[in-house]
Amino acid sequence: MLRIENLHATVAGKPILKGIDLTVPAGEVHAIMGPNGAGKSTLSYVLTGRAGYDVTAGAASLDGENLLALAPDVRAARGVFLSFQYPLEIPGVPALTFVRTALNAQRRARGEPETTAPEFLKLARAAAAALKIDFDMLKRALNVGFSGGEKKRMEVLQMAILKPRLLILDETDSGLDIDALKIVSDGVNALRSTERAMLVITHYQRLLEHIRPDRVHVLAEGRIVDSGGPELALELERAGYDKYARAA
Amino acid sequence: MTLAAAIRTGDVSLLPGRRDEAWRWTDLRGLLRALPPLSQPFTGEVGAGPFDALGGATCALLNGGAGEIVAQAGDNKIAALRLLSRGIGRHAVKVSIVVGRGATLRLLESYESDAASVSQSLLTFDLAEGAVVERIVLADDHADAVTVSQAEVRLAPGAAFSQTLLTSGARRQRIETRIAHPGGHAAVRLDGVYVLADKRHADLTTVVAHEGLDGVTRQLTKGVVRDQARAVFQGRIMVSRGADRTEARMAHHALILSDRAEVDAKPELEIYADDVVCAHGNTVGALDEDALFYARQRGMPDDVARAMLTEAFLGEVVDRIGLEAARDVARAWVVRRLEARS
Amino acid sequence: MAAVKQTVDHVEALEAYKHGFVTDIDQEFAPKGLNADIVRFISAKKDEPQWMLDWRLDAFERWLALEEPAWAKVNFPRIDYQDSYYYAAPKAKDGPKSLDEVDPELLAVYAKLGISLKEQEVLAGVEGAPRYAVDAVFDSVSVVTTFKKELAEAGVIFCSMSEAIREHGELVRKYLASVVPVSDNYFACLNSAVFSDGSFVYVPPGVRCPMELSTYFRINAENSGQFERTLIIADKGAYVSYLEGCTAPMRDENQLHAAVVELVVLDDAEIKYSTVQNWYPGDPVTGKGGIYNFVTKRADCRGDRSKVSWTQVETGSAITWKYPSCVLRGEGSSGEFYSIAITNGHQQADTGTKMIHLGANTRSRIISKGISAGKSSNTYRGLVSAHPKAKGARNFTQCDSLLIGKSCAAHTVPYIEARNGQAVFEHEATTTKLSEDQLFYVMQRGLSQEEAVQLLVNGFVKDVLQQLPMEFAVEAQKLVAISLEGSVG
Repeated sequence: MLRIENLHATVAGKPILKGIDLTVPAGEVHAIMGPNGAGKSTLSYVLTGRAGYDVTAGAASLDGENLLALAPDVRAARGVFLSFQYPLEIPGVPALTFVRTALNAQRRARGEPETTAPEFLKLARAAAAALKIDFDMLKRALNVGFSGGEKKRMEVLQMAILKPRLLILDETDSGLDIDALKIVSDGVNALRSTERAMLVITHYQRLLEHIRPDRVHVLAEGRIVDSGGPELALELERAGYDKYARAA
Repeated sequence: MTLAAAIRTGDVSLLPGRRDEAWRWTDLRGLLRALPPLSQPFTGEVGAGPFDALGGATCALLNGGAGEIVAQAGDNKIAALRLLSRGIGRHAVKVSIVVGRGATLRLLESYESDAASVSQSLLTFDLAEGAVVERIVLADDHADAVTVSQAEVRLAPGAAFSQTLLTSGARRQRIETRIAHPGGHAAVRLDGVYVLADKRHADLTTVVAHEGLDGVTRQLTKGVVRDQARAVFQGRIMVSRGADRTEARMAHHALILSDRAEVDAKPELEIYADDVVCAHGNTVGALDEDALFYARQRGMPDDVARAMLTEAFLGEVVDRIGLEAARDVARAWVVRRLEARS
Repeated sequence: MAAVKQTVDHVEALEAYKHGFVTDIDQEFAPKGLNADIVRFISAKKDEPQWMLDWRLDAFERWLALEEPAWAKVNFPRIDYQDSYYYAAPKAKDGPKSLDEVDPELLAVYAKLGISLKEQEVLAGVEGAPRYAVDAVFDSVSVVTTFKKELAEAGVIFCSMSEAIREHGELVRKYLASVVPVSDNYFACLNSAVFSDGSFVYVPPGVRCPMELSTYFRINAENSGQFERTLIIADKGAYVSYLEGCTAPMRDENQLHAAVVELVVLDDAEIKYSTVQNWYPGDPVTGKGGIYNFVTKRADCRGDRSKVSWTQVETGSAITWKYPSCVLRGEGSSGEFYSIAITNGHQQADTGTKMIHLGANTRSRIISKGISAGKSSNTYRGLVSAHPKAKGARNFTQCDSLLIGKSCAAHTVPYIEARNGQAVFEHEATTTKLSEDQLFYVMQRGLSQEEAVQLLVNGFVKDVLQQLPMEFAVEAQKLVAISLEGSVG
């Protein structure tokens, strides 16, 4: 599904990613762990095409199609979804309007029919109920005045409605208390399927107790320096990232 | 130096220009080397007005003239005021609006010109105690027209005046509102929206003079400029000596959507009393790149994302319109104007 | 609370205006009035080369053709330009060569003002002697400049303008009026014709000036105007921090201080310019007397990545009319303006800045804190503009006004002109009175009303005070307190 080869990227001329190799097959969940400043968020922005994150070498493809040449919205239509570490506030645009506009834009791009208003409302109601989001909240401007936990829940709600194929979760557990973490994780786990791949980016092992990864990779100084099974996350929790900092 | 005097006499040297501080950004003298002839009376069909669907009596003034709109004490009514210019000519208009004690008037005002006319209008509003006026102005002028609209508003204590201006500009256009605010729990809301393209120009100028205790003023103006358009916002809040416990807030936010468009702003506070809370905020810039990326990551193409964010940006002002049917007209107008060219 | 205690002690120890004394010193004057002969007299007194005299006479001709501006929000009777002395200087045989030769009377004046001209103390390690170089300007002439030798070793030229015209003519000719053109405005043009003295600073490429430089301006003579002219050049990669202070005696008539300050900043250079302006503000009750402070200050950030920071504490003068500005020409250049303007009694201040963005990716920041008390009037007037070529220009402006008392006025008049789609300007302004709740809270903790006001005002202006060089921040804080004396109750 997702294949990253020798990926190099710079931000403002400064090299951040220095040769990443990573393959995430369909149906698998891979965790990317690493110390602050390792390049975790940069990887998520490079995969989604944010301006200012310049690829200097290497490739990234989804089902064989080169992602890096595509505009951000085209990548989204192909099924790439980023759950932002800090979701944006969009004043004046109700959450429902925002998600419906996005869904229909993706459908148009894929040559699918747009959703009708009743269909969409049904989808939204179901997703909100599953995430214990008060439906009235979806009539408010997206994320404006929402708490950290509410914003993360809105990210998962968008995932549930947009049904992406590749999910990138950037520090989705940050700012969540234990109850919110459970709700958000359940929401993500409900989306696990043989057609989807997930990349879970996190600093702490805590989230991985809820979203069990198939593989764990350690990102340090812009490279994958170690890979292993779920047990690697536990080891990192115990020993920290020191040995990788020295190695790199 | 007024446009009214120049229209009356045909003397261009009477036009206000760049050297007049209040007209520094809306130079009429430098623009008009000559004035068109006085407008001829027009007797043809004028067509539908933008607020026809909302009902209420219509006062239509064609190529000049004078009118009066009265709401008697206790009335609750909707009135439409259409200021029409047909053909190339110059003319001035005077309208007096009188609202009695406790009366409510929703005034739906439109400026409709179809050629390079030069026009000036003066509206006077007199609000008795407890009177409520909501004024909604839709200025859809011809690209070659030069217009100045001036409103002078006098409020009695306890009266409420709110207004929303919507304009797409003209060759030169100024919409000026001057309010004598008596305090005494009278309330003023002054909002504006501009959507300017091509070489159009719009100048939204307001002066609110707080003259008594306990006055409240809220101002929110937002706009977008494209191409080589130019927007001017001049907002002045004065608080006279003794006008204590005045609370006045003014905000102006503009988006510049092209490299050659321009926004000039002068949000001014002139305070002679000490027990006041006054504030203004002004921002000029482009659409927020982070918000744009967020929307595109969710799958919206660039133009869809920009249109959504721009409409939402202006929507905040439109949402403050009290009369629901007028709000719908305003919202549709904004969407149409934004789509007019992109 | 220590700062408050200190402030309060200080206030008790002082008269409202502590610099109001007159020094009886033997002085020499030009004849009263203004004409081409007076301009020649000044130039001759200063032993100037012919080019300088020609330049002055040309400026005088142009000044005659200009009209006095009327747009600032200040009111004052018309100035009679013929009823003033344009040159006043302490009598001296040849001008002092070193500190030892300076008239002890003059040294005493500066000592009384708290300004140390004694290099020896610093060199001898006397405790508390501040380590900064001073150019002391008394009426129309510079009486002494300290630390010249040490600065010269670093390649820095720091001397009076009169000396610079004689000794560094090429540099002066190259840069004088290159930032503020001769006929830029009425008062700048007048200054160009009759300027008396001021400081000249040149910092060569790559040099970080080894100490703070400062000029202390003192008006002493009666019926005289002071026409300061200062020129500071930071060559490529240079850095200098400069501070000026100003005081004058208490007199019943108004005196004019019309200064021109020009800063030239080349690639990667930085100038930090601070002002503590405490000219005599006039009688607090009758409003009689005081200095008219009409000043043109401008920095030309002509180099890429050049930087200028203006910081001002304006507490004095009957009328202040002053807009230290930055022309942000160099790519990536930046300008800052931090201002505290306090008016009390009958003072009028119309001050602010202009940030003119011409180059790409230029940045500016404006923090202005105005405080009006008594019957005074305090106006912030500022311009932020972005030229079509100034892509990526950014400005942030915060203007706050505080009102103390029923009879004062505070105005905010910003002009914002954005002429391209990639400029981002943000402006915020507030006008409020001193919070009764806060006052009560502080007084409930045991402070008197006056102390409480001082504490809150010092909090209000803290962001700006922090920008001052350490040595002066404490002094400025005291000045803020003194300026507001008698404003409550």
